[in-house]
Amino acid sequence: MKTEPREVKGKIVNHRRISPEYYTLRIQAPEIARAARPGQFVMIRLDDTYDPLLRRPFGFSRILPPNQKRGGGFAEGGFEICYQVVGRGTARLTRLREGERADVLGPLGRGFWREEGRERLILVGGGIGIAPLLPWAEELGGRKAGTREVQPEILLGGRDAHRLLGVREIKRMGLEPQIATEDGSAGLRGTATDLLERDLLSKGDESKAIYACGPMPMLAKVAQIAEQFDVPCQVLLESRMACGVGACLGCAVKIRAEGKGEEEEEKENLSASKGGLCRPEEETEIPLPEEMAARISPAPNFRYGRVCLEGPVFRAQEILWE
Amino acid sequence: MRAGMKSRNDDSSLQIFLGSLKLKNPVMAASGTFGYGEEYAPLLPLRNLGAIVTKGLSLDPRKGNPPPRLAETPAGMLNAIGLENVGLKAFLREKLPRLRKFRCPIIVNIFGNSVEEYAEMARRLGDVEGISGLEVNISCPNLKAGGSLFAADPKSVFQVTAKIRQAAARFMMVKLSPNVADIGKIAQAAEEGGADAVSLINTLVGLAIDVRTRTPILANITGGLSGPAIKPVGLAMVWRVAQAVKVPVVGLGGITTAEDALEYLIAGATAVQVGCAHFFDPRAPLKIIDGISRYLKAQNLSDISSLVGSLKTK
Repeated sequence: MKTEPREVKGKIVNHRRISPEYYTLRIQAPEIARAARPGQFVMIRLDDTYDPLLRRPFGFSRILPPNQKRGGGFAEGGFEICYQVVGRGTARLTRLREGERADVLGPLGRGFWREEGRERLILVGGGIGIAPLLPWAEELGGRKAGTREVQPEILLGGRDAHRLLGVREIKRMGLEPQIATEDGSAGLRGTATDLLERDLLSKGDESKAIYACGPMPMLAKVAQIAEQFDVPCQVLLESRMACGVGACLGCAVKIRAEGKGEEEEEKENLSASKGGLCRPEEETEIPLPEEMAARISPAPNFRYGRVCLEGPVFRAQEILWE
Repeated sequence: MRAGMKSRNDDSSLQIFLGSLKLKNPVMAASGTFGYGEEYAPLLPLRNLGAIVTKGLSLDPRKGNPPPRLAETPAGMLNAIGLENVGLKAFLREKLPRLRKFRCPIIVNIFGNSVEEYAEMARRLGDVEGISGLEVNISCPNLKAGGSLFAADPKSVFQVTAKIRQAAARFMMVKLSPNVADIGKIAQAAEEGGADAVSLINTLVGLAIDVRTRTPILANITGGLSGPAIKPVGLAMVWRVAQAVKVPVVGLGGITTAEDALEYLIAGATAVQVGCAHFFDPRAPLKIIDGISRYLKAQNLSDISSLVGSLKTK
């Protein structure tokens, strides 16, 4: 699942606006395409001036290994990313022209993987977060030499019809996505997590696994649903990043850790020094100070993990959701 | 080393001395921007670097600050990582053995929550094999010197340097904060305390605000500014310190190209560190080494030391 990254100058072979909100960029980079796995990402340097200074991370929305004339017949090999203009970096990205070269670092991070014994796979994407699920859908259920082992279910959500993507691509793979939009302009009125709950409630199947990408609140909800139905779940997280390779520790996310939190330990040491552990019946006789209240629902211990290196794909239960 | 792997980076004119420490070239990777080396190993041959300064290390592991920890600013970036690190034990057990395989001099950046903790770190690293020296970060935010910032107080800086000197005989450079009134005085305090070299500048305190929400972008509110934006500040301070002390000066702050590094050398730095540039240009240190080498040839200089502090001011 992990690969050695490299830095290459990739030729931009296609760049287009696919909806009022989203763009697709195809870059020729056979070295990266050969190694890339669904769920991994690249860091693209937007300009060789210092403003914007940092590279920007983008998940693969399509991986096109060399010599596999598929779809667009892209024999040289490369990949696609989808993006939404959210700031100065992505605004700069829109100005890249076909034929120009982009400095690409990748493939980076840990991609998606199959969960052992799980055959019924559900992919849940929200908004621009649908993009990195597309190569995973293609690998799992694409029309590859007629050997379709699994047929993933694809659940897509967006605020409105313009903030959906991948519908055509999914259909081209021979899969039928379920769609929800918050304003009802496409598919069901609701969210991708509504689709997920409905799916899990209606079909009792033991061998399910969930793969999700989208905004953080959506992923937290997906994680909660997965836990409730006891289904293994992988989430692809987004984060601000500087290096993309695990060196700067900038893209921190709270990861559940064994044992107690630091503050909890301090409190216990404190109470131990005051004469050992109180018996519960004694505790109820005194009003609960804040530290006692905290001990009843102790803060779980955590460490900061690096989204770029340990992720961007994590098991949902690894994350300390807040 | 295979003969075919010999490159311009073995150019002997680039060799420098920081006191007793000999480096094959003056370009190091700055602490906190290069992890423990292994993160960048797939992208560039680490043995070509002058040295690697490892991520700031404390006695006990530290979790670091909550995210967001990064904010991009014009030609720079703010970081508030919060000195997250694996702690001394895990460093010695897991990180150092892997790092040693890259056959690049290793300088271990250390910090503590008290003068005693610094000394303890130095003692425990004092005779560890496979490291070339220590860099002392005196800008730990938990350190106080009677209410004022430790790094800004010459007496405290002298004290911590002297304690570390007592605890370990090996090469030690003190990394100076630019957030002080007179960096020359702080450098002198480190020199008097027994530092073999000083490195500067650490990051400048900065703030970035989201005007829509009127909240700071960093969870820590303020962070340390690095990147090309701080280069002129670093140069001015290196120039000032180079006149104030006799020990070698290691310059850093916004170095991205060979020309930036040459500016630092001319201002008085014997060596330089590349920091933030790794993030957007991972091979920057190699390009800088090659660029310095080419410059020396073009200028007919056989020894880089003739360049150090050669600024013509009249």
